[in-house]
Amino acid sequence: MTPQQPPMPPKFALPGVKHVLAVASGKGGVGKSTVAANLAMALHMYGQRVGLMDADIYGPSVPIMFGLGTVDQTKTPFPIVKQGLKLMSMGFLVEPSQAVIWRGPKVAQAVGTFLAQVDWGELDFLVIDLPPGTGDAQLTLSQQAPLTGAIVVTQPQDVSLIDARKGVSMFSEVKVPVLGIVENMSYFVGDDGKRYELFRAGGGRKLAAEIGVPLLAELPIDPRVAECGDTGEPIVSRYPDAPVSLAYIELGKTVVNTMLQQPAPKGLPEVQL
Amino acid sequence: MAVPSIPSPTALRREGDGLRIDWSDGVSTFVSWQTLRNNCPCATCNEERAKPPNPFQVLSAAEVAAGAPAPLAMRPVGHYAYQIAWNDRHDSGIYPIETLRKLGES
Repeated sequence: MTPQQPPMPPKFALPGVKHVLAVASGKGGVGKSTVAANLAMALHMYGQRVGLMDADIYGPSVPIMFGLGTVDQTKTPFPIVKQGLKLMSMGFLVEPSQAVIWRGPKVAQAVGTFLAQVDWGELDFLVIDLPPGTGDAQLTLSQQAPLTGAIVVTQPQDVSLIDARKGVSMFSEVKVPVLGIVENMSYFVGDDGKRYELFRAGGGRKLAAEIGVPLLAELPIDPRVAECGDTGEPIVSRYPDAPVSLAYIELGKTVVNTMLQQPAPKGLPEVQL
Repeated sequence: MAVPSIPSPTALRREGDGLRIDWSDGVSTFVSWQTLRNNCPCATCNEERAKPPNPFQVLSAAEVAAGAPAPLAMRPVGHYAYQIAWNDRHDSGIYPIETLRKLGES
């Protein structure tokens, strides 16, 4: 009797997508979704074809950040196109007031479905907004998605850095190149023109030096970032001349140039059994 | 770059009762299926190995039926590991490439 081939976890190919970029942080609340949305927008402003996949199944943010909400799944083709970006989020499927109370395997399944069953088409970048931590969503993407790189977002203070390090360590374990560190909420420039470092200073630079990757951006605090996030248009497109927007646009440029120069990680060879 | 530059496999093939791997640094390693099965890195097998040896342990029906360990499938997992499905129906072991290299060199 010939034994049957056992089922193995699926591996998703995204043949039309040139770069799959994960935006991650170890710690929650550092502004990772804001960075992912504005980076995606900045890349689009650079003429790139961009998708944004919200892999935060428990706390999706992409719908509100783009002025969207729950949609009728039977009538709406995914991804949803808004402001030139292709978007997918759990928030399109579940009412904002309804909690997604799922164990890990269901989360992994949902993330896999977003990758495999959404018609992403031809893209230069698929930006994936990861949930905080190093759990099921991250592991599923590392194992099954053709990730070409990751950006780790942190705030300057040690309490954020300690978890960001864990995120970096996870990507190192699974051999996904970390393109660099983005330090969010680095400083605030007051009406007096002075720079105030509200959450201490230099943490992102320290982490980048420690792990040998570039510090990609130090993003200033601007209250309009929150206003834009809540009203459905990333600041980089609503106030493109704001200092934080200029920093995002520079970040987008750096990411494009880095990805162009850096060969995509080659997949592991198949085994001849 | 945060990913340390360690050798990566360039070709993997069955050779007799084991696995031959050619590496990017020119090294070629061989590891038997038995060694790979004995060193399955999954949580269940790790736990089993941590227990004191049981002199009265009886092989399960699946182990008896399977005979010597042999892979039914082996496929890449992301950029960092291979998953092996064994003929005893065990398939939860994900072998990081560092582990494959280490086992091949030991």
